[in-house]
Amino acid sequence: MDDVVLQTVTLMLLPFIQTYGIYIMVNGHLTPGGGFAGGAVLGISLILYALTFHVDEAAKVYPRRKAEALESLGALVFIFIGLLGVLGGAAFLTNNTSFLSGQAGTLLGGGFILPVTVAVGLKVASTVVTLFFHLLEEEKR
Amino acid sequence: MTHVPVFVIISCLGLAFALPVLCRFRPRPAGWLVRALLMLNTALVARVLLFVNHQGTFYYHLGSWPPPWGIELSIDYLGLFTALVVHGVSLAVVFYAQTDLAGEVDPRMHHWYYTLFLLLLASMTGICFSGDFFNIFVFVEIATIGACGIIALKRHPDCVEASLKYLILSTLGSGLILLSLAILYMVTGHLNLRYIAQHMPTAWAAYPLNVNISLALLVVGFGVKAALFPLHIWLPDAHSSAPAPSSAILSGVLVKIYAVALIRLIHTVYGHKLHQMIPVTQVLLLLATLAIFAGSLFAIGQRDIKRMLAYSTVAQMGYIFLGVALLTENAVVGGVTHIFNHALMKSMLFMAAGAVVYQKGFRRISDFHGLGREMPITMAVFGIGALSMVGIPGFNGFISKVYLAIGALDAGRPVYVAVILISSLLNAAYYLPIVTRAFFNQETGPATFRVDRLPLSMKATLVILGGLCIYFGLVPGSLLRLVQKAVQSLLAT
Repeated sequence: MDDVVLQTVTLMLLPFIQTYGIYIMVNGHLTPGGGFAGGAVLGISLILYALTFHVDEAAKVYPRRKAEALESLGALVFIFIGLLGVLGGAAFLTNNTSFLSGQAGTLLGGGFILPVTVAVGLKVASTVVTLFFHLLEEEKR
Repeated sequence: MTHVPVFVIISCLGLAFALPVLCRFRPRPAGWLVRALLMLNTALVARVLLFVNHQGTFYYHLGSWPPPWGIELSIDYLGLFTALVVHGVSLAVVFYAQTDLAGEVDPRMHHWYYTLFLLLLASMTGICFSGDFFNIFVFVEIATIGACGIIALKRHPDCVEASLKYLILSTLGSGLILLSLAILYMVTGHLNLRYIAQHMPTAWAAYPLNVNISLALLVVGFGVKAALFPLHIWLPDAHSSAPAPSSAILSGVLVKIYAVALIRLIHTVYGHKLHQMIPVTQVLLLLATLAIFAGSLFAIGQRDIKRMLAYSTVAQMGYIFLGVALLTENAVVGGVTHIFNHALMKSMLFMAAGAVVYQKGFRRISDFHGLGREMPITMAVFGIGALSMVGIPGFNGFISKVYLAIGALDAGRPVYVAVILISSLLNAAYYLPIVTRAFFNQETGPATFRVDRLPLSMKATLVILGGLCIYFGLVPGSLLRLVQKAVQSLLAT
């Protein structure tokens, strides 16, 4: 689909879409949304890129192997952060506000919630992209 | 010690997610990592059981948030008993799968198989321990995905079709469970099982219709997933076309986990109000009876060994629901004991059938002539499973049937004793001919074979499971004491 208008508009939109996705992701503990919603928006921006340019182009920007690795990594980081709660002497996934101990209600005041939502966001974004690539592969076969 | 249940769940999840990355560099040790983790986790669950036996039931608050807000794990006898069954059977399955998988699944997909298997295991353990309705629902969803995955991984058209069928019907079941959960949340304002139970009397007085609807949706939703008779249509395809280790885990454990979840929800949430509501126990009794007869009759008509075993599972699920719906202590003990016994027998039978497919490459029952002379160990173990299914004294199937029968008499319903007796005869009608054909038929079946002899890991797994069937048939005391404790704490609420 080599449409100059489409490609230009996509390129103009992409930074905004991705910024918005990251915004939703990191504000997970303050506003509605969070890791899943933000990750989905991020993933969709990559799908949009793959649709307007070509899948091979997108695969260059965001290789599948990396997407799969990031998927595992997101989940593992989540579990690791959960275990930090156990190491702190409390239950699994217990929040510890001495980490990122800004004022409550600000971006850096949520303890472990920020890293957890970022981990979830990365996992969801890469899952969305991997799913998209898988569906395309099924088509080719 | 209190962290152990959550460790068991997250260690499975963690390894499931780590395997795809690890196996990119070194695919060989994947199976051994899984086996090591499972051995560790089985030991840990057994240790927690001792702990609970000593200290009593305990609760674990995830994220240190107390119950009405946070998610709670409640570690009680029923959950631990089921978790132990899940882990025991899974342990046998992964040792068996070591060689069997090579024959059925593309080697490049092996670590994905283990990933899905571990996800399934984590979710089943989660359902056992969870004390929060929504958390149970989430684990049910994960289990559905894992189960569909390990069926479809074989890439055979039949497997994909069966998996799709299972996915669609299972999603329907999940939807009903979610709807039931939403209605309960609407009328009680809680998702934690103990808090729902507390608010149930007022909710029942104010909104009897909603509570009834939620109960009906719950029974149908879990009924689809646990293959309760008219809702079982996905099961024969799914369980017969999957690779043998998957069949063993799906038929041996997964369907029962949903039955356990249903038992727990019905008893803790609706409790003694159950009798005043829609006649759900009557409906369950009727469906269980139908399941016992229809499952056996369908099984008699099958020509394929794995399909026959799958239909037999439908019948055996009927026993479990029969015990649960009779509501007397002995009957529930029978039903819950049957969860263990059937998990042992059916996983063993599926693995024995898988061993025949592995060595000989055929699945038709009519090809089994004289197979006992070629594969004596496998067919002897199959014979133990068959006798146990029929309920011959000395084998473990007998124990649960006796308790079911006593429970039926306690409830003043001798007709169900007749149901159990007649269905045992029906079981004999389709299990025993296979054994006699294999051992006492002078003809020999097709002389095809794929491998000379079974690998040791398969034989050892089968022999150990067969030994356990006889052991728990002769010395059922420790098992029964555990089940009785679980049932007493369940009925007391």
